[in-house]
Amino acid sequence: MTATDLPVERPVETPPARRFRLSAPMLLLGLAGLVVLLSVARLVTGANDITSAGTVSAALGLAVPIGLAGLGGLWSERAGVVNIGLEGMMVLGTWFGAWGALQFHSPWAGVLAGAIGGALGAAIHAVATVTFGVDHIISGVAINIVGVGFTQYLSQLVFNGMPGGGTKNSPPLPKLGTVSLGFLDDPLRTLEATHWFVLSDFAGVLRGITQGVSWFTILAILLVPLSFYVLWRTPFGLRLRACGERPVAAESLGVNVYLYKWAAVLVSGLLAGLGGAFLSLVAAGIYRDGQTGGRGYIGLAAMIFGNWRPGGLAGGAALFGYTDALQLRQGGISVHALLLVVALLLAAVAVYQLVRQRRGIAALVTGIVAIAVFAIFALTDTVPEQFTSFTPHLTTLLVLSLASQRLRMPAADGVPYRRGQAK
Amino acid sequence: MLRNRVSKLAATTMGGVLLMAAAACGGGDDTTTGATAGASSAPAEAGGGAKVGLAYDIGGRGDGSFNDAAAKGLDQAVSELKVEKKELEATAGETDAQKEERLRLLANGGYNPVIAVGFAYSGSVAKVAKEFPDVKFAIVDDDAAKGDNISNLMFAEEQGSFLVGAAAALKSEKGNIGFVGGVDVPLIHKFEAGFEAGAKAVKPDIKIQSKYLTQPPDFGGFGDPAKGKTAAQGMYDAGADVVYQAAGGSGAGVFEAAKAAKASAIGVDSDQAALPAYADFKDVIITSMIKKVDVAVFDFLKNFTTGTVKPGPTVYDLKAGGVDYSTTGGKIDDIKPKIDEYKQKIIGGEISVPTS
Repeated sequence: MTATDLPVERPVETPPARRFRLSAPMLLLGLAGLVVLLSVARLVTGANDITSAGTVSAALGLAVPIGLAGLGGLWSERAGVVNIGLEGMMVLGTWFGAWGALQFHSPWAGVLAGAIGGALGAAIHAVATVTFGVDHIISGVAINIVGVGFTQYLSQLVFNGMPGGGTKNSPPLPKLGTVSLGFLDDPLRTLEATHWFVLSDFAGVLRGITQGVSWFTILAILLVPLSFYVLWRTPFGLRLRACGERPVAAESLGVNVYLYKWAAVLVSGLLAGLGGAFLSLVAAGIYRDGQTGGRGYIGLAAMIFGNWRPGGLAGGAALFGYTDALQLRQGGISVHALLLVVALLLAAVAVYQLVRQRRGIAALVTGIVAIAVFAIFALTDTVPEQFTSFTPHLTTLLVLSLASQRLRMPAADGVPYRRGQAK
Repeated sequence: MLRNRVSKLAATTMGGVLLMAAAACGGGDDTTTGATAGASSAPAEAGGGAKVGLAYDIGGRGDGSFNDAAAKGLDQAVSELKVEKKELEATAGETDAQKEERLRLLANGGYNPVIAVGFAYSGSVAKVAKEFPDVKFAIVDDDAAKGDNISNLMFAEEQGSFLVGAAAALKSEKGNIGFVGGVDVPLIHKFEAGFEAGAKAVKPDIKIQSKYLTQPPDFGGFGDPAKGKTAAQGMYDAGADVVYQAAGGSGAGVFEAAKAAKASAIGVDSDQAALPAYADFKDVIITSMIKKVDVAVFDFLKNFTTGTVKPGPTVYDLKAGGVDYSTTGGKIDDIKPKIDEYKQKIIGGEISVPTS
């Protein structure tokens, strides 16, 4: 990669770089610009699903577990503990979420139980990595394996005897309540159905985020600013992050590094467990063996993507959720329309590089890629099924590879720490 | 140094994703949920003399469908044919070597015949059967494993799917139906092809939406209800009013979406409207394509006791009663005569159903 400071493609997930701070108005402007771009693509291709309320609400549902896992990763890695065991903690969350809801006949008990289940996995991780100084990756992988095996064992023990349950699944779970701004439904639905330029798209997006939203989703979204506040605006957060940047320095100032790392890893497990509980309680309505499907890893990728920042990882999760919703709902057509959006975005980047940054070669390369993407778009009518399934992964990989040049992980992330190691 | 660690972490993450995909490979064709009655019966007196070894796919006895159906056939053989049985379970994410070991264990232990449930055993059966030429092997859902002592128990899923496809087209008011497949593999293509042919036989201009949840080698699509729900919601939003799922555990999500959209869905493998696991959804499941693994297993064992086992594929189709459609709930009683008409035409050879 010749371009060391290639701007990130989409405004939504632009990580707050050192030189340029992302302000709220700019973010909103970027989002609005994206909707306009999607609207253009929608009008050109007739792929009405790309900004429909259904897609937006599905995207939200798919993004939440990934975002929660990413948030879990954020907490732990900010304190310097790499948490590849998120997947295993999520698996525990799915099982305990289902069990809690069934046992206490309340979905909210399930939410709590799921969080505690995740924290159980995290406690193992904390004992291994913080207390005994085991390699973080090894401990994490072990938790992923143990999580799967343990829940299978528990299913055999608990769900197998229940009516409708089995060794691989729970009976159907009680439902969590949803919230809708009812008065907006009809006008927005009418506006969306007209398929007007931009207006209908905003109506679709708005309807998607105001109708039938689970309380759990709202809780999950609130956890993002809350994490930011705790980690960046409180003394507790400052000390916690110090443990991830330079534990020796934190120790010299009287911070109990072990304690902070323990707390961070436990919160990490709570959040991952919540992500798992969301999957079984809200997204699926049933516990199913293997239903996490690697979302813990995707959450970790979203966190890296978001430069170890809550806003960035939320953007990453949203991007993944959105592209996943697109490909699952109207695969070929929607992804085909997305190609046009990508081509236009790349063209805009090329112009930016040429005019503002005066980097001719970089602009040329970006321009050629833009033309190539556009050519694929123009020459085909739909994207084959074999390809659409990988859209979310591919998009994430693409943005990650473009953005990786300016990512900065916590300085002591994954580095073993022993008390008194500084001589 | 820093950058290196970023890359290392990213690489580990990607590795994890790939690992999960690989681990999910074993997922195979286990389908649906819920515990059916069949509690394991005690081994019968070895009156028939035959000692039957049966290796399950992931899920095993109690999965409420595919494996349970095989178990049901075995239990029937135990009580009616007086054979002795030995069952071994599979674990998620296991390797072919582990499957081979399981089959060898059975064959070495004097079990003959040995039955492997699920196409995941294809390579293992082909290999182990060569080592034990005197033992009869049977494999469900696979015709790639060939040998003089291998019987392939196959199903004409496309014929059963044809019937539910016709039912979908007859029941659809909007002329728009959908198909959700778990994983994009040849076995599931048969379901889709039959469904499409059946729907088009009724209404040639019908719109059929189709989606496979994951691509191999990612077999997660058989166990991810959230994905099934999203895909089905997309279809209902785009105008479909009946969706057929051949997506294993993800099917629960399809039913959930059907319920939310106040539309209809079609089940697969067993009579899903009658399963306790799907009791919440029985008002949206209009019919199910039934695949009778129990019939195939029992048949094979019966042939074994009479010494008439024949190697190679045996296809359990409509004619043999290996596949069928269900009428639980009475939602398709009004169109039953029409579906039965198609059924007779397929049995009589008048209609030949494509498999891909």
